[in-house]
Amino acid sequence: MKKILYLILFISSVAYSQDFDKNIATAKSSYGSGDLENARFAMEQMLRDLDIAIGKEILKMLPAQIGTMKVNEKEDNLTGGAGYAGGLYVHRTYGTSPKSGQVEIINNSPLINSLQTILTTPILGGMMRDENQKQVKIQGYKSLLTKSVDSETAKTNYELQIPMNNTLVTLRMDDSNEQEITAAANAIPLAKIVAIAQ
Amino acid sequence: MKAKLILLAAALAVASGSQAQVLNKLKGKGEQKAGEAIDNLFSGKKKKDQNSGSSSTGNAGGNDNGGNSSNNGGTNHPSNNSGGGLVSTPPDVNQNLADAEAAYKKSSYGEARYAVQQAMLGVELEIGNKILKSLPEAISGLKKNESADQVTSSGYGWAGLMIHREYNDSKEKELRVTVANNSAWMAGVNAYLANGGYAQQTNGQQNWKQTKVKGNRAIIEYDESSGYKLSVPLGQSSLLVYEGVNFANESEMMKAAEAVDIDSIKKQLGEQ
Repeated sequence: MKKILYLILFISSVAYSQDFDKNIATAKSSYGSGDLENARFAMEQMLRDLDIAIGKEILKMLPAQIGTMKVNEKEDNLTGGAGYAGGLYVHRTYGTSPKSGQVEIINNSPLINSLQTILTTPILGGMMRDENQKQVKIQGYKSLLTKSVDSETAKTNYELQIPMNNTLVTLRMDDSNEQEITAAANAIPLAKIVAIAQ
Repeated sequence: MKAKLILLAAALAVASGSQAQVLNKLKGKGEQKAGEAIDNLFSGKKKKDQNSGSSSTGNAGGNDNGGNSSNNGGTNHPSNNSGGGLVSTPPDVNQNLADAEAAYKKSSYGEARYAVQQAMLGVELEIGNKILKSLPEAISGLKKNESADQVTSSGYGWAGLMIHREYNDSKEKELRVTVANNSAWMAGVNAYLANGGYAQQTNGQQNWKQTKVKGNRAIIEYDESSGYKLSVPLGQSSLLVYEGVNFANESEMMKAAEAVDIDSIKKQLGEQ
């Protein structure tokens, strides 16, 4: 089973590599011949290829298990949005309902500025005081932890948002507690992810 | 007798003129002295430089203590009055593509992405400059204001390319032409055109309506304070906006808009 998985990963990485090589060749030849618009289009595709390659590297860095929840590799989702959508998007899920978790990594998320404002302006954080929200530090990064209770199941769900420069890492865990989500977040190599995602 | 009277009147006029000049000079000197006295009061010392004019802050550090402004109590910092600013250097596209390829081969994807973004910035600036060159030198008797020419790009692709040109008659009439590519404005304008306009009035003040410029569907608006605005979507992701200030009427604005070679802009942006 593992061999098949590695084979699929290898084939897909070769395919992306071919795309990048093809697009860079198009960009070079179009630019050389003065066809600026086609050169630009090829570069947009290259940015998308690179985002996908970066997303794959990030997926490799994410833990195979958080707490008792195992990764659902089939549900992995990554998008390179260099064209119009806004950048890199990586999504991974763990466990099965009702005990499940999700990790999301988004570049240039529209939420980043407001989150960073809340986290870096203590007076604003104080004014927006919410008993279900608090600031915590994960591996030295200021983060926002939000608790919510499912009205149907009465289970407690947590969301942890960690803004790092222009990358937002979000971890969600259903039927969880603060210690569990903090431990799970500490298992994610944040510094390495932000270094590659920038 | 008449001649004597005229002579007397002329002498009085000259005397009063020179008196006014003397008074003005005295007033000027008085103001200068008062200004110096205030400067001395706040800086705590008399200025040696009589040629300082009005830029006392700029010279205070330089003349009194060789550039060290600590004697000014830390509040009177010298203002910058030299330096050539930054040189606008578009990125080298070929070099950045080579850098991107090398970084990609080393699996340094972040570096590769940065290099591609720089290459893209270079290409977008070239596209923008080509479009600026293709615009007419003058429109409806208004000459281009070269100093206002502007090409803006972030190199991200999705963030957009903006090209701006202004024409004016050095008086009050002005035409501004902006081309936006991959612009967020597009969604709004296209939604308007696709829906056939939300509410076109048949009476009262008509402030906007649909029109066509050289066969391209467009929206024209009028505002009393800002004048005419004509928005022409170009293909899938570009928008051409004209803003006319002090144009006599709609037909004059439309005639000015037709002076621009829209097909050439579309071609250069790869729009159909």
